[in-house]
Amino acid sequence: MKLTRRNFLAWAGLGAVGAVACEGFGIRHGELDLQSPVRLPEDLVRGTDNWYASLCRTCPSCEGIVVRVMEGRAKKIQGNPFFPINQGKTHARCEAGLQALYHPDRVPSPMRRSGPRGSGEFLPISWQPNGMDSLRTALQARGSSSVMITEPLRGHLGLLADRFASAIGGEQLGFETIDNNTFRAAVKNVFNQDTLPDFDLENSRFILSFGADFLSTWVSPTRFNRGYGEFRQGEGRDRGLLYQIDSRFSMTAANADKWLPVRPGWEGHVALSLAQVIVSEGLEAGGVDVGALVGGDAGIQRLNTFRPEVVVQLAGLTPEMTGGDPVEFLKDLARRFARTRPSVAIGGGSAGAQSNGLFILEAIYALNYLVGSVGAKGGVKFNPGSPWDGVPASGKVGSLEDWDRIAEQIRSGRTKMLMLHGADPVHGLPESLRLRDAIAQADDLFVVSFSPFIDETSVMADLILPDRVYLEDWGDDITEPGPGYQTVGFQQPVVNPLPDLDPLSFPDVLLTMSQELGRESQLPWSNFKSMLREGSDALFAMNRGSVEAASADEFWNNLLKKGGWWDENTTGPANIQAPNGLIQTIANKASDPDFAGIGLGSDSYYLVPFVHNTLLDGYNAHLPWLQSAPDPLTTVTWQTWVELNDVTADRLGVKEGDIVRIESSKDSIRAVVYATPAAPPNIIGVPLGQGRKSGSDYATDRLGKESSNVMDILETTLVRDTGSLAWASTRVRVHKTGESVSISKLEGNSRAVEIGLTPAEDIIKTIRPENA
Amino acid sequence: MVTQRENHKWGMVVDLDRCTGCQACVVACQAENNIPINTQSYFQQRRAYEWIRIERYWEGEFPNVKARFIPILCQHCENAPCEPVCPVFATYHNDEGLNVQVYNRCIGTRYCSVNCPYTVRFFNFWQPQWPDRFRNQLNPDVTVRTRGVMEKCTFCVQRLRRGEVNVERRGLEPLTGERIPVADRKLNYRQMKEGNYMPACVQACPTNALQFADQHDETGPVKAIFEEANGQIETREHGGHVDEAHTRVYRLFEEVGTKPNLIYLKKVDAFPVDKRPR
Repeated sequence: MKLTRRNFLAWAGLGAVGAVACEGFGIRHGELDLQSPVRLPEDLVRGTDNWYASLCRTCPSCEGIVVRVMEGRAKKIQGNPFFPINQGKTHARCEAGLQALYHPDRVPSPMRRSGPRGSGEFLPISWQPNGMDSLRTALQARGSSSVMITEPLRGHLGLLADRFASAIGGEQLGFETIDNNTFRAAVKNVFNQDTLPDFDLENSRFILSFGADFLSTWVSPTRFNRGYGEFRQGEGRDRGLLYQIDSRFSMTAANADKWLPVRPGWEGHVALSLAQVIVSEGLEAGGVDVGALVGGDAGIQRLNTFRPEVVVQLAGLTPEMTGGDPVEFLKDLARRFARTRPSVAIGGGSAGAQSNGLFILEAIYALNYLVGSVGAKGGVKFNPGSPWDGVPASGKVGSLEDWDRIAEQIRSGRTKMLMLHGADPVHGLPESLRLRDAIAQADDLFVVSFSPFIDETSVMADLILPDRVYLEDWGDDITEPGPGYQTVGFQQPVVNPLPDLDPLSFPDVLLTMSQELGRESQLPWSNFKSMLREGSDALFAMNRGSVEAASADEFWNNLLKKGGWWDENTTGPANIQAPNGLIQTIANKASDPDFAGIGLGSDSYYLVPFVHNTLLDGYNAHLPWLQSAPDPLTTVTWQTWVELNDVTADRLGVKEGDIVRIESSKDSIRAVVYATPAAPPNIIGVPLGQGRKSGSDYATDRLGKESSNVMDILETTLVRDTGSLAWASTRVRVHKTGESVSISKLEGNSRAVEIGLTPAEDIIKTIRPENA
Repeated sequence: MVTQRENHKWGMVVDLDRCTGCQACVVACQAENNIPINTQSYFQQRRAYEWIRIERYWEGEFPNVKARFIPILCQHCENAPCEPVCPVFATYHNDEGLNVQVYNRCIGTRYCSVNCPYTVRFFNFWQPQWPDRFRNQLNPDVTVRTRGVMEKCTFCVQRLRRGEVNVERRGLEPLTGERIPVADRKLNYRQMKEGNYMPACVQACPTNALQFADQHDETGPVKAIFEEANGQIETREHGGHVDEAHTRVYRLFEEVGTKPNLIYLKKVDAFPVDKRPR
């Protein structure tokens, strides 16, 4: 079938009506029968609301949502109570999907570039013939030297994009500003798993987290928040204890019982010192073969070089930080961690974003073997792979080395075509890679963007073919990390695009192209929905899992009704054998972190960038609800701030609202000062997310001095053995500019200290640390 | 029209030991209640609308520093200071324990806002504006307030009414869409049990720090906590002593005598910071 807008709408409409015909989030069969000529949900005027299950796509983790639809307009997004990852709960980001749907700055129709590249001048064109013809011609001429850059893709879209790229002889790669490649490599080396693990926080009694801001943005925060609530005050259990070892005072550090501000890049040494105490004092869990794990006497000798006495110096731990002798503190921490079982060690975020990040994360995750929490309740739980053969359960994400190579290919003219979907590498890569210049100056390069919004990369496009927003489109996702068992989420169109918009589904465009280019043998589906339906039929044939049905049709309907399929009996492995001598191997890898550029000195600071609580790396910067959601710690909105310790701010002679220039060896940016008692004096924190140079007004209408992109000044240090960007390994100088702005924050003008009436219970009722 | 129903008395419990300050409740509230977009200048003028907000307090200095989060919303006081000062009876207490704002009556004197010790009333200094497309999202169950009118948290009263319709007339559990057996479909407050009616903030809260239910509901999550809190008030009124160290229950500014229908559970602090004067 040739795909036109009309018959695509008919498909989508039929599918959507199919989705309506359910009891759960819909209306009764009988009412549809009476209105047979009606095929679109917005034509049903019933005065009541319908709820459709779908998936949230405002962050890389996959959460089930239900969307309230009234007369064809989406009104509210809530968590899908059935979905295992979030169980009815949501993050602030999920709610704002409605603003992406009804955003005034959506690309309304296909467009072609009419001015110089990057000028943002476009002329509207039609899909047929202009848009599709241009795409086909470009693919015919340049497909074999093309690169498709997407968000990390899992599930059937991952399969489709991968096969499409290989069918035309090009390359497909996922892009994430802050990628999980180092975490993934550590999981592979320590646990020999290909998918990311889950952490059973709900049943844990002690969480030891290194650098992972898991309550805010790290990996799967809604799931971790659910677990955290139970960890703190779940019924019938003791209150758990959380220690956060983190160079910056993150949101997770703010919620921890104890925050230990470690020098950036030395987290791995701290983890090994804890292992040394556990091993030397014989605190390991029963059944753990310490000899094999540590690597015999030689391993123990190696481990002894990480004694707390040695490490406290390296990690910069002082008696003020630990409330007494830091050596005793580390020993006490090791004992608590080993004795308060089940306990779990988590590492990620800035801890893995150092040149020695892989060593750091491996050292952290190896601790889980010592306390017997690998695959166990309250510990690290593993996920099985994809239920379908060949359908990826993990997104393929490029490392900094890959992006450097692609920028070089563009410069040398070997890459002749760039296809973009859901990724903004120009904004998200360090400026020193010069990707923007490479694209702007390449003479023989054709750039196609499928993004429904203009961003810094798509503004350079020659052709924009706007995709549907996720609430208008089909899709699926294999949750990563899953909840410890096989879980697939399904996304269905809950509304049709507004009449003044003319988007076309990205996967459908790819399938149409593959037909027109004669590649049906590799991609034998007429449209994406039929591909998903095939997946549904395959799940039905497996005859297991959460969806019950007598026929494949009923299965499809029930699947969409529940928003997905999961099988609690298909879990990841519970017993994982540690590689022999694992801890010795890791200890032998130990190295100091490298900081290129500005050296250590009294006027230099460690720059710790962090992912914005709601905007992430800037992916959501165009959504005003998320711009106006205050940062939890500083309460700043709409601006790029820099967290400076009070003492540091005094020394620099700046106060809140002043503009400082933050300078690395690469470049400099400006940001608004937020002086805080919680920042370590030698560290400055700057959020990602702002500083968009093109796109929606909500992302771009601020002055350069109050909205900037911290990626612009990062050194391009690599994490050894993974090729990822070591984004926390930049040192900077901070200069006063003499300018200031009115800071836009929720907090009042005077600093909020102490909370009034006794906010915190000083005496712990459920668990006394000294008894732990 | 207010449905006459003697038995309802709504209440919320906020467990500060679960709250992580993540802002999910804040955005959920804005999505549900047609709250204007809080632009940068609204924050700069301190006129941002946040029916629920997360306040953050610092305790201590580096390195012994803590941040405390506390969600603040209308406390729906029994003795609400905002009510007696309104010259036009635009704000009153209904028989379900809700402090209600009647937008049609409000003439914008802002006396109520001045009198509220919690700063949870918001005045519309401007006509709310959205780009045309965003208006598609507006909740049809909630008024768009005009310039000159005071507004505040309603405990999502529209969701309560929807819940009643769904539970009692349509026979559906509002959250899961499952059918309720016919025999159970009758006008009875126990039908509106925990889980089938929730304000948007409670619904979103990923750590379950917010709990909402009928204070009389034996099976609900808040009854025992309210009984403990009411007991404390009674003890104090009779000159007795409440052992603060052994209870997590407190009301915000209890000494003001507002008797909020919102109860906080204190954060548990395993290692309190040194609170010597700065």
